[in-house]
Amino acid sequence: MKIKSDYVMREVAGTYVVVPTGKTSIDFSGMISLNGTGAFLWKQLAEDKSEQDLLSAMLEEYETEKATARADISEFLKKLKEADLLE
Amino acid sequence: MNHYKIAGLTIAMEGACETLQRLMKSYGANINGKADITMSIDREKMHKTGEEYPHLSPDEWEYIQTGYAFACKLPDFDGFCLHASAVALNGRAVLFSGPCGTGKSTHTHLWRQYFGPDRVVVINDDKPVLRRIEDIFYVYGTPWSGKRALNTNIRVLLSAVVFLKQARENHIRRLSNKEAVQMLFYQSQRPGSDRDRINRLLTLMDALLQKIPVYQMDCDISFNAVKTAYNEICQLRMETENKR
Repeated sequence: MKIKSDYVMREVAGTYVVVPTGKTSIDFSGMISLNGTGAFLWKQLAEDKSEQDLLSAMLEEYETEKATARADISEFLKKLKEADLLE
Repeated sequence: MNHYKIAGLTIAMEGACETLQRLMKSYGANINGKADITMSIDREKMHKTGEEYPHLSPDEWEYIQTGYAFACKLPDFDGFCLHASAVALNGRAVLFSGPCGTGKSTHTHLWRQYFGPDRVVVINDDKPVLRRIEDIFYVYGTPWSGKRALNTNIRVLLSAVVFLKQARENHIRRLSNKEAVQMLFYQSQRPGSDRDRINRLLTLMDALLQKIPVYQMDCDISFNAVKTAYNEICQLRMETENKR
């Protein structure tokens, strides 16, 4: 899995935002905000990653239970798919 | 090529239609050397668009297109256009922003009535330019200022941005950074689809939010609404200045 390359994700005034560029910005001119975990996962997905890769990365970064991390990742991916943000 | 000085930038523009020429008149300048922004009107495209949008006259089309082209280039110069009505009072600018039909111009007009038209200057009634120069934010008038072409060729220190919302009672509050980023982004003129410029725009908004208070005001159409905004903005400024 990988995030479509048309999006820019950045921190602005302490919050993480995602905005479209290129052709995508013609169809979608809005802005998405992410929390810290979301931003972390988004950065991971700049390159092709499996769900397992994401889990390992998250367990390394955050002190969290495996089951919680897995649920968070699955929830995040679901949202990305719904919003058609994955390649 | 005609030359203009707009928002502190030199603009070279190929002979324009009558309306634009008239509106640009107070921005004319004698400039030698290379312009910051060069704009040329694509006559062929203008003709084609004219067929597609018959309700727009060539003059109107040109006015809209040049305004858009200008706004798109601004992030290269640490600037952007915000969809807002901008007033200057005592050398400070307040921007009233929000979606179409919120009453931005109406509120600006109330300021003119309340403080007097000799004290309140409309900088730009629709799309003022915000620029950061040596870490200070300024608001500029431009010839592109919406239907009523209300603008003044001046530069004023930016004091506050207020997003308006129609309501029965007047209430003003500071927006959180998260809210403010979204509101600013939605009401800013996006620099097309260019990744680099979008990044620059976001960098600029980040800097703006560190310096400039951003509010939301629920308001009716009354002098009470004017006082609500004015008192809040002045009070905060005095507190900030006392701390220094």
